[in-house]
Amino acid sequence: MKKLTLTTALLAATGLAGMAQADKLDDIIASGTLRCAVVLDFPPMGMRDANNAPEGFDVDYCNDLAKALGVTAEIVETPFPERIPALMSGRVDVGVASTSDTLERAKTVGFSIPYFAFEMAVTANDATGIKSYDDMKGHTVGAVAGTYEAIALEQQVTAWGEGEFRPYQTQADVFLALSQGQLDATVSTSTVAMANVKTGNFAGISVVGKAPFDTDYVALFTNRDEYGLINYLNLFVNQQIRTGRYAELYEKWVGGELPALTVPNAYR
Amino acid sequence: MFDTALSAADLVFLAKGAGMTILVTAISVAIGTLLGILFGVIRVQLGATLSLPLTFFLDIFRSVPLLIQLVLANAFMGMVLRLQISGFTVACGVLSLYTAAYCAEIVRGGIDAVPATTRRAARSLGMSWMQDMRYIVAPLATRIALPSWIGLALGVMKDSALVYVVQVTELLKSTQILITRLQEPLFLLLICGAFYFLISFPLARFGGYLEKRWSHD
Repeated sequence: MKKLTLTTALLAATGLAGMAQADKLDDIIASGTLRCAVVLDFPPMGMRDANNAPEGFDVDYCNDLAKALGVTAEIVETPFPERIPALMSGRVDVGVASTSDTLERAKTVGFSIPYFAFEMAVTANDATGIKSYDDMKGHTVGAVAGTYEAIALEQQVTAWGEGEFRPYQTQADVFLALSQGQLDATVSTSTVAMANVKTGNFAGISVVGKAPFDTDYVALFTNRDEYGLINYLNLFVNQQIRTGRYAELYEKWVGGELPALTVPNAYR
Repeated sequence: MFDTALSAADLVFLAKGAGMTILVTAISVAIGTLLGILFGVIRVQLGATLSLPLTFFLDIFRSVPLLIQLVLANAFMGMVLRLQISGFTVACGVLSLYTAAYCAEIVRGGIDAVPATTRRAARSLGMSWMQDMRYIVAPLATRIALPSWIGLALGVMKDSALVYVVQVTELLKSTQILITRLQEPLFLLLICGAFYFLISFPLARFGGYLEKRWSHD
């Protein structure tokens, strides 16, 4: 009797384990729904429209992925710190959430190839005649205190040995100062720069070029053992670029020069 | 007088959030109260020693912060049991047990407040335990327990704001979504507060009405 119980328990356990090991790609197609983790307070990647429906680059990207899979997309709003926990607790299938593909995170989740890159852009007051990063030499520049770009910019000003660096509290303050002529130029993430220029709240400023700071590559992610799905995601990102959809979405939500998603002199 | 970007559609969005708050509260308070009555009666019947395991179990729900209970329950369902349970179900389940834990205490207090002599008299008159509970204890205990129960129901309604952590878009979460988009935090929180008041005021008044009516007979 005891033996029988044990056998039954083992069989049940094997059955359960077998179910848990079903390929996630198949599961998504079978369920008919793709649940994407998206950050919705990070314009223009994720935000809400006038009817409070999700919109943005990441939302469109998730919809494209769902369309490729032949399923419907479900946008699950996840704040930045909740992205990976949401995946681990099975609330979402894929993260389309502007997630930097750090090696530390790759110990927990599996990343696709990068699908977007945040480059640092130079925004200048039109009256100064600054046309590139190097033109900022000798000018008054500023950025949001404590950010990566502020630290790099301040070091650059010190290295140039002329000009002045001014820190600001918020991104809006920087663009306001720039528009009013207190600042000649600033460095910020390209998406932030384009979004602020586009609002029309800051007259007389424009994005003039890229800053040679580290690019922040972001990738799609899912469970790290789901190779089938990760393969699919890699091909999907590749197809998005190949078909021109990536450029189309970039123009729609960000605008300006399309960031390259490949690293020079590297295979991936 | 002042400018706001808040549209009629946004108010409908907030009202939907309020609807979710009411739904989660109604389900949790209903299930929680039924369970609470059951647990409360069991605790009184079994005595302090025998009901120790139950008391301990209920104390977990009373002493661990609700936010942590929700996060842990959600993670447990998804990661350990690998069940595809909606956040709404997890929210209702946790809030129900949370309500039950408090309600059991209220019920126990209500039953204990019925004089032992009255109950003995009922049994001496030949009433069964069930009859004693139904006709003697229930009416007296309900009167004593009602104010605390109304307080509990209102408390659960406000605590339900925490279920946003399991992806349930209730009133406060709806407000936060609008704050992110419109950047008018004070004005929106004022409206959110007004919604909460509109929900809880009738319940509080209804409790007051019942108390008054029952004390006059």
